[in-house]
Amino acid sequence: MLFPTLGFLLFFLVVAAAMAVLDTRFTAKKAVLVVASYYFYAQWDWRFCFLLAGSSLVSYLAGQLIDAAADQRRRQMILGIAVALHLGLLGAFKYFDFFISSANQLARLLGLEHELPFIEILLPVGISFFTFHGISYITDVYRGDVAVCRNPLDMLLYMSFFPQLVAGPIVRAAYFLPQLARPSAEPIPIGPALLLILVGLFKKVVIANYVATGLVDPVFSAPTSYGGPDLLLATYGYAVQIYCDFSAYSDMAIALAALLGFRFPANFNQPYRAQRLREFWQRWHISLSTWLRDYLYKPLGGNRQGRLKTYRNLLLTMLLGGLWHGAAWKFIAWGALHGGGLAVERMLEPWIGRRALSPIAKIVATLVVFHFVCLAWIFFRAEDFAMASLYIGGLASGWGGGLQQAGPFVVALIALGLAGQFTPDALFDRAATAFARVPSWGLGATAGIIVALINALGPDGVAPFIYFRF
Amino acid sequence: MVAVERELTETLPAVAAPVTADAIPLVLRRRGASVREVLAMTVVGIFALALFASRDLPSWVRGIGDERVVEWAETAAVKWDDAMESLGLVRPHEALRAWVSWALELKWSRDPR
Repeated sequence: MLFPTLGFLLFFLVVAAAMAVLDTRFTAKKAVLVVASYYFYAQWDWRFCFLLAGSSLVSYLAGQLIDAAADQRRRQMILGIAVALHLGLLGAFKYFDFFISSANQLARLLGLEHELPFIEILLPVGISFFTFHGISYITDVYRGDVAVCRNPLDMLLYMSFFPQLVAGPIVRAAYFLPQLARPSAEPIPIGPALLLILVGLFKKVVIANYVATGLVDPVFSAPTSYGGPDLLLATYGYAVQIYCDFSAYSDMAIALAALLGFRFPANFNQPYRAQRLREFWQRWHISLSTWLRDYLYKPLGGNRQGRLKTYRNLLLTMLLGGLWHGAAWKFIAWGALHGGGLAVERMLEPWIGRRALSPIAKIVATLVVFHFVCLAWIFFRAEDFAMASLYIGGLASGWGGGLQQAGPFVVALIALGLAGQFTPDALFDRAATAFARVPSWGLGATAGIIVALINALGPDGVAPFIYFRF
Repeated sequence: MVAVERELTETLPAVAAPVTADAIPLVLRRRGASVREVLAMTVVGIFALALFASRDLPSWVRGIGDERVVEWAETAAVKWDDAMESLGLVRPHEALRAWVSWALELKWSRDPR
């Protein structure tokens, strides 16, 4: 069930009606949200609901056991088992066939004839996200950063809450569980929420869809058929497409949670305006980058054990971050590029790190970071590692012809997507404040009309969000 | 040049660690609505959408997928669209679709033929 569909709209109408009817009965509201979230998840495959429930049960029990454990060794053991169970589940569903395929390739190289069998299981949508939710909860209980969750209903809702279930943001237990302890006294921020939905819809339905179908998909599927200008534009196009696609999902998830009375953390903050790669990761998929920082980079030692180990930790963290996106060498290459880039940036810090930049240097730095990120996106988007190499080879040669694939409309959308990176925050704040002054029926009518116009501007049908496959 | 040199020797303020900041800042959460108003807004929004996006309603209904509902609902959606057409409410939709088709056909240079 995709957000920009009639099915989801009707689903949300039922949930909103239930919330209005239950009004102050907070426990009943949470129960309704759990049922709604499992119904939402069952729309992909009802069997995955057992997986989600199992993952929630492991987290809940591990939290209780860690809390009850008398000594540190026992707590550590329970943490280790619970994290291993979560990672085992993720590994079995997401990485098993990848490791089998890699092992078979290695065996062939070594001249061995025996091949290990594949199990070919369907990847449960959102498994990477709810696994990270579970690990974050157990680790935070172990560290004492969050109180143990005594209410199973709260744990079920934390793990399954439908706005973030399939593509994030990754909401930490310490951030979300306190919101389930008592109903929020704040009013529902209807103006900013609606604005986020409308902006998100435009980014997904108009920008991401047309840039994908009109340029990125054809060029990336046959890079050898295109010259340098098309390949370069498709690279920029993909940078815009993935941002508009993924940030649109986050915007809508944040807005839907807000309309149901919950707060979500920010997940994007104009990432392509970053002047350093490190800054890019403070602006892109913030909930993942902070998760990796707190649960992987810091436990590895972070930057506390000398320079070489800092570089190693950065590389390892980003390699695993790449692998989190999917079981393929191209994602590992993407992670390695980012990890290597961050390590090199750290090495150069004595020269570039602590000095203010002149306006021209800021522009140059932004362009360098943007193009580095684009280079890494080629690996991320290409069918496989070999296609990515062909693509980069094409970029390095064949600059004779002009643009074959993209017309002015798609180029204008790419430009619009990039321009959006540089709009001042105050613009959104002002529009959201103006929205908040309109009565709810007026907001509904305005939003309905704008959604109808966005729908008319977009192509028929809605492509799934890119991050659903992770 | 002096200005540039001065600027280069200034130190940047320490980059704040990325904290789990609320996506909707507090200042924008001060004014808001109740759950009932959210429901009212959703109902009005769906009605407005049905008025101005009636052209796509039959295909959206098919997308729901439930066989028992779809057949009946699709017939109703087609009738609704006919009614909206008679009221002239499909014109903005058709004008935008026509504009997008035209924009998608635009080329960088005229066809020499």
